[in-house]
Amino acid sequence: MSSTQDAIREAAKNALASGRVDYFIGWTQGHTPSEAIPAFIRRPEEVDRLIWSPLCHHNLVTFLKRKMPDPPESRIGVCVKGCDSRTLVALLQEGLVDRERLYVVGIPCAGVIDKRLVDALFTDEVTEIDFEGDLVTARTRMGESKEFALADVLLDQCGGCYSPNPRYADELVGDTLPESQGKPQFPGLEEFEALDSAAKDALLAEAFSTCIRCFACINVCPVCYCWDQCVNRSRRPALVGQKVDTKENTLFQMVHMFHVAGRCPSCGACDRACPVQIPLYLLHRKMNKELYEMLGFMAGMDVDEKPVFQTFRIDDVLGE
Amino acid sequence: MRFLPEGELAGLLAALSQEAEVWAPARRPNGVVEFQKWEPGTAVELAVLLARQAPKEMVFPQTETYLGYRYLMACPAVRPETPEEAKLELEGEGGEVVAVSPSVSHQLLVVEDVGGSSPTRADVAGVELPGTGARVIFGLRPCDARGFAQMDNVFGGYGGFYFDPYYNARREVTTLVAVACANPRSTCFCRAVGGSPSGTEAVDLLLTEVDGGFGAEAVSERGQRILDYAGFREARAEEEQAVAAAHARAEEAVEAPFELEGVRENLRANFEDARWHDLALRCISCGTCTYVCPSCYCFNINDEMVEGRGERFRCWDNCFNPGYTLETSGHNPRDAKAARFRNRFSHKFWYYPEKYDSLLCSGCGRCIMHCPTRIDIREVIRTMGAPAAELPARAEEE
Repeated sequence: MSSTQDAIREAAKNALASGRVDYFIGWTQGHTPSEAIPAFIRRPEEVDRLIWSPLCHHNLVTFLKRKMPDPPESRIGVCVKGCDSRTLVALLQEGLVDRERLYVVGIPCAGVIDKRLVDALFTDEVTEIDFEGDLVTARTRMGESKEFALADVLLDQCGGCYSPNPRYADELVGDTLPESQGKPQFPGLEEFEALDSAAKDALLAEAFSTCIRCFACINVCPVCYCWDQCVNRSRRPALVGQKVDTKENTLFQMVHMFHVAGRCPSCGACDRACPVQIPLYLLHRKMNKELYEMLGFMAGMDVDEKPVFQTFRIDDVLGE
Repeated sequence: MRFLPEGELAGLLAALSQEAEVWAPARRPNGVVEFQKWEPGTAVELAVLLARQAPKEMVFPQTETYLGYRYLMACPAVRPETPEEAKLELEGEGGEVVAVSPSVSHQLLVVEDVGGSSPTRADVAGVELPGTGARVIFGLRPCDARGFAQMDNVFGGYGGFYFDPYYNARREVTTLVAVACANPRSTCFCRAVGGSPSGTEAVDLLLTEVDGGFGAEAVSERGQRILDYAGFREARAEEEQAVAAAHARAEEAVEAPFELEGVRENLRANFEDARWHDLALRCISCGTCTYVCPSCYCFNINDEMVEGRGERFRCWDNCFNPGYTLETSGHNPRDAKAARFRNRFSHKFWYYPEKYDSLLCSGCGRCIMHCPTRIDIREVIRTMGAPAAELPARAEEE
């Protein structure tokens, strides 16, 4: 892990010192050692702030999408994990980022942790998380400490990860991991799929009733890039109501889900950003399963592939 | 000091709920703690310290209807053909037509007031609004209560400014029973902004958790009346000492990450500084920080009309929203992310203080805890609130 971290720092230093990029985006420690946050490094002597550990869950590709770079024409270095790289590939497929302005450092990733699972193990605030091989040690502000297996607190999607290695990078750091064999799996959906329509409606209504329309899910999403032109915000025409209630919240969330279908590789950034813990990840996974089963398409796998909704092939089979 | 034995808590809440709607932090099925309506059997959740959202929605709902109306669109192609005919049709259905809109091309609106109201200060007491019966918010923290005090300035007619009848209709019937913080988080910074984990600003009754129950100190008349509940008894000397010790311990545990001295002036001096862009790089420009905040109060007013019925309502807005300062012409004076970012902090520590002579931040730290990228308001104020000469170096300047 630390050798990967060193390699990231080295790559960042080279990219900055050579003038290849204006700034470099990686991860650094948050306000406590229990969290990693995105880091924007401008000077070679600052690269030691960069870290690599299973805390580095943020998908940094979101900082490449339109209106995020500042200034807009910045040349940017960026770290991507396997799933992150697929969102970058999705943007590249649509010509929405200029690869000449990027320097992409790819990191094979064996999984990142879901901090919410760790928090749930304590009453007190978790302020420190350490990793030693497959063992995680978490400590709270009041000094309580617990040890557990890394596998027990990984993000849901990391268990069945289909693309641990970056699908696109200018430079790869760390050791390549074994690629998944066979068909992609979309676990955890059986319960939802077994419900009838009314029960699905009820479940979604319950989930979306707590939405506060903060737009964290769409703003953090690397492949959701309409910004000021977003139909969910538009007042003329007013297609999605601005009232915060279950009905309009549901419409808003459905619009997001359908608009990113074909670009979304289920990186789960929306799910982790949601302040009220709406299970957005499951819904996107369901959408991706449908896309795979209907059209044999997986988002962001190959830069030279056309996105599924920009093609129509003679053998596109709709349903049985 | 009075004392409420632990076993009396449910009894107190039950007694309060005889006369008022009681709201308290409780766990949702997905584990998230939010203020919810208390009913017998509801487990009050105090161990998490802060509910996910501050309880401001109790007095400032996220969506609030001002006015409901029916309308008919008159145009030559479909009946009714003229506004006069539309007016007659609505009146025939028993409605009182209160306004006929001026002609705009071939579209005409006939507006009938069918609900909501536009009360003035004089008749707030008589206004029937949802959620304006007596309410007790139980288990909020002193920082949450200070958020109410800060919003009171804006909506309550402070200094002769705007008096908001909707806000005040609720605020005036809301009693705040705060529980002092026993175990502040690493993100707490109330002391830096003039507060305290056992502060009493805007609080009616302050409870302090100690072994065996809660020490209780009334701050207002309303709080005093709650102490009439038979489950309270006089606190013993050791209980009073335990309360004082708990306050001191919590006070000690809250860090003061910046000095307020000079912040307002320095924010003004650093207004155009490029470091705002550096700090904003990590921001994804969502509104989470503002919606979990106890004092952010910006709102927007919308008209939405569907199939003959319309509503005019206000709903929370925030300075990161692209529509926040979008002008009719299409020009947006805060088009760039960094400018939107700058506004939130400048509003809290500069613009608002200039107008109301206090801060618009109570140091709860929710914006840090729930920001998807953990933008840290303490870091922002420490950086941009510092004298220009002490700002950190930037690559371009070397």
